[in-house]
Amino acid sequence: MNAAGTLGRARAGLPGLVVLLALAAGLVTLVIVAVDGHPPASQGQQVQQIAAGLHCPICKDLSVADSPAPLAQQMRQEIAQKLRAGESADQIRAGFVAAYGDSVLMSPPRQGVAGAVYYLPLLVLAAGLIAGFTLLRRWLRAPKADPPGAGPPQLSAAQRRAVAKAVARLREEEPG
Amino acid sequence: MRRRTRLLAGLVAVVAIIVVLLMTGLGKDPSVIASPLVGRAAPNFTLPQLDGPPVTLAKLRGQVVVINFWASWCTECQVEQAALDQAWQQFQDSGVVVIGVNFEDSTGAARGYVRAKDVTYPVVEDAGSKTALAYGLRGVPETFVVNRSGHIVRHVIGPVSAAALTSEINSVLLTGAQ
Repeated sequence: MNAAGTLGRARAGLPGLVVLLALAAGLVTLVIVAVDGHPPASQGQQVQQIAAGLHCPICKDLSVADSPAPLAQQMRQEIAQKLRAGESADQIRAGFVAAYGDSVLMSPPRQGVAGAVYYLPLLVLAAGLIAGFTLLRRWLRAPKADPPGAGPPQLSAAQRRAVAKAVARLREEEPG
Repeated sequence: MRRRTRLLAGLVAVVAIIVVLLMTGLGKDPSVIASPLVGRAAPNFTLPQLDGPPVTLAKLRGQVVVINFWASWCTECQVEQAALDQAWQQFQDSGVVVIGVNFEDSTGAARGYVRAKDVTYPVVEDAGSKTALAYGLRGVPETFVVNRSGHIVRHVIGPVSAAALTSEINSVLLTGAQ
């Protein structure tokens, strides 16, 4: 085995090695993304994410991310500055809540009175299901009412007497 | 029959609860909202004055501070201007400081307004609205009253009246260093 042959074989296998390395890099990235949940967001994306969860204090039904108001713009700048200073998204949100109250959050918190927004519909649904089930069971257990006129005919006293006489006559006529 | 009565009573109870809730809400003064900052330490700031040295809130500890957020383009701010000036003139010797914090404005416009309206109390600029955001500002005018220990005792949204401001300052002065 000479040196030229070895080099030639190595050159021939190089594209395959590159493909293999690329596949390995892709696999590692996929594993990182799968473990982390999502690819690392840029600071701009982080600002947008946090701003989207905050209600613009001077707008109607607009988030800080969507509002063109100067105050919302200042809030976005404030978020970016705080991110650069190393604050987490939760810390930044808590800062705005401290100044504006829970109303600054686009989604109300799950605890306290505001938590009723999440749990009340479930309670109402459960109560409705229980009421529906109870009514259905009661309806199924109730004796079926006969349609009008389906029961035995109501006879008058005279008719009953006539029937009794006819029955007695028939019994007398029976042989034996 | 009994079931129908019960149903009717339940319906009346639900309607009564809704009516009470509506009446409670309608009876509230919308200018005095329950600010989360009331009762808490006022966020500190150091802001450049329009004509004078920078103002640091922490250095005013021991005095009652009236912080008024305003802008030259705000028409309601003009309505309360006289009340703020009157409070400053009346109480500055009693340990009360009135500070006007200019909000989303240009220095030129703010200076022009101060001269035209003859504003006598210190006016500072809040470039970048950092202080406004720390105070949870929703617009102008908004006024905060800070007691001697540095806690916010009142938050008024909209123009303040001379009578209400005087009464509030007197009340904070009387309660001493809370």
